[in-house]
Amino acid sequence: MRTYLTRRILQLIPVIIGATLIAFFILSLVSDPFAAMIENPKIKLADIVRLKHQWGFDLPIYLRFFKWFGSVVVGNWGPSLLYPGYSAREVIFRALPITLQVMSLEFIFSILLSIPLGAISALKQYSKTDYSLTLFSFFGMSMPTFWFGLMMMIVFSVWLKRPSGVPLLPPGGIQTPGMESAAFLPRMLDRGQYLIMPVIVLSLFSVGGWVRYMRSFMLEVLHQDYLRTARAKGLTERTVIYKHAFRNALIPIITLIALSFPGIVSGAAITEYVFNIPGMGRLVLSAELKNDFPTAMIALTLSTILVVIANLAADVVYSIVDPRIRYS
Amino acid sequence: MYKTEVLLEVKDLKTYFFTDDGVVKAVDGVSFTIHKGEVLGLVGESGCGKSVASLSIMRLVDAPGKIIGGEIIFKGEDLLKKTPEEMRKIRGAEIGMIFQEPMTSLNPVYTIGNQISEAILVHQDIGGEEAKKRTIELLNLVGIPEPERRFNQYPHEMSGGMRQRVMIAMAMSSNPDLLISDEATTALDVTIQAQILELMKDLQKKTGMAILFITHDLAIIAEMADSVAVTYTGKIVEYSDVRTVFKNPKHQYTYGLLMSVPSLVAVETKVELPAIEGMVPNPYHMPQGCHFNPRCPFATETCRKEMPELKELEQQHLVRCLHPVQASKEVV
Repeated sequence: MRTYLTRRILQLIPVIIGATLIAFFILSLVSDPFAAMIENPKIKLADIVRLKHQWGFDLPIYLRFFKWFGSVVVGNWGPSLLYPGYSAREVIFRALPITLQVMSLEFIFSILLSIPLGAISALKQYSKTDYSLTLFSFFGMSMPTFWFGLMMMIVFSVWLKRPSGVPLLPPGGIQTPGMESAAFLPRMLDRGQYLIMPVIVLSLFSVGGWVRYMRSFMLEVLHQDYLRTARAKGLTERTVIYKHAFRNALIPIITLIALSFPGIVSGAAITEYVFNIPGMGRLVLSAELKNDFPTAMIALTLSTILVVIANLAADVVYSIVDPRIRYS
Repeated sequence: MYKTEVLLEVKDLKTYFFTDDGVVKAVDGVSFTIHKGEVLGLVGESGCGKSVASLSIMRLVDAPGKIIGGEIIFKGEDLLKKTPEEMRKIRGAEIGMIFQEPMTSLNPVYTIGNQISEAILVHQDIGGEEAKKRTIELLNLVGIPEPERRFNQYPHEMSGGMRQRVMIAMAMSSNPDLLISDEATTALDVTIQAQILELMKDLQKKTGMAILFITHDLAIIAEMADSVAVTYTGKIVEYSDVRTVFKNPKHQYTYGLLMSVPSLVAVETKVELPAIEGMVPNPYHMPQGCHFNPRCPFATETCRKEMPELKELEQQHLVRCLHPVQASKEVV
């Protein structure tokens, strides 16, 4: 197991470099960060030439990649072009905690909801409960987040008001002005109000899909011979389901969790726009659109690292829950 | 036949499957009796309702299957009238069952020790340590070498024969009065099959339990069973003790089955091996009258109109046929 892990971790390095290389090439095809500067009368041509040299734009693209990569490795992530005066690091570390809060809540909420719902759906196959849950999950999967977000806002921020006349839930943003320096607990409660709607909108979408997956994994297990054996032993239905069926149905869920895990960092651009949340999804999208390549590249690299680590973690977890899988 | 006490009496059992394409009468009025310590062989082709009959006794028939009639009297009480909870206490304790596929019948994520002791713990009022001891005893009993080490192994670390031994240990864990073996040796290769049969015979002698032995292999029946019930399309067509059925088959189907068993004598004389003409009928469209009539060389107009009753043709020899095989031929 240890040699296996060492080998896998060493393999991650070329994978990550390769993925960033591809991202770098694609990003450099799309845009020229100096185009906007040329039109800016305040920037002198000499400054542009100096910047081009400093950022490696006078070099061929493959050499520019290594120049960029070298400086990233030593911790110099470059300036943010989107927010002049800030470094890419500052811009990202402002957005990252917010996205982490929204997405990890969404993540935990979706798992806790969809695993039991999917299992119930399978256990009561073709019942009214099953049909309602199926309807619910198709609704969740097919509902566009931007539209559903707006509908939530109309209901909870426009129609429903508190006695004081303030909307029941704030329609967007992430913090009530003036709460920045409040104590921890009131600050978290304040943050909670802002997170309710985006977390529900995002969860609805992922729960919809996951319920379907969990349902089919569970159904597959329910038809296995070993469940008949378990029943023939005289075990209670509870033991048959929770001990023998559930554990086997959860194994393939690990892959799904690993696949969605990187979303915790990359965020959800559309929902962040709708609810005006200054998170990673929004930041990366505008960085890519506004030629802020240092910020965009760092964000892409972060997601890449998370994708490969999540996959490695999934493989390790597999070997823990499924005794048939052994690595050497 | 047996003079000892009756253990299980199945009377006119009907288990039907209600599918979208129609009703399949998998078990249609089957009756048989198993005495204490008796080995009854239930023999027939695939799809003739053997397995469904055994699952009906355990009340483990899955939807869309449903037991719609009959009685299953086990130790004087009708299992079909038991509550699910009462039935659960009988399963694994008084009736043990082993299945065809040892490869898929064990849960892959738990050790075999865990899966056997679980069966002990659910029926017997003993602690975990005690259950482990008993499990190791059982593993020893079914001939698994190094039981202490095997206790902590997973099913995938064992061969098919070993897994079937584990299944037997599991079924034997509470000393059942009846063991149902549903094609338990079919998936194993011949040498392993012989070992498992030997083991079952041995255990039967030691414990005096009765066995309901389901198979399509006539040789196994001849080897194992005391009496035999031949089933065809969900009905018993011939039922007697094993000697009578093999020496003196009366139903044309049984006769055909026995004739189609290759014999060493026939190979020497280069006689072509006879086979039963035709196919088992489509379960959705059973033929009118006797279900065997399209394949029977002696079928008459009456056979095509009405289903014959299962009648006692000779002493203790039940046959469902209007034109039973006349001559007493030595077929096997």
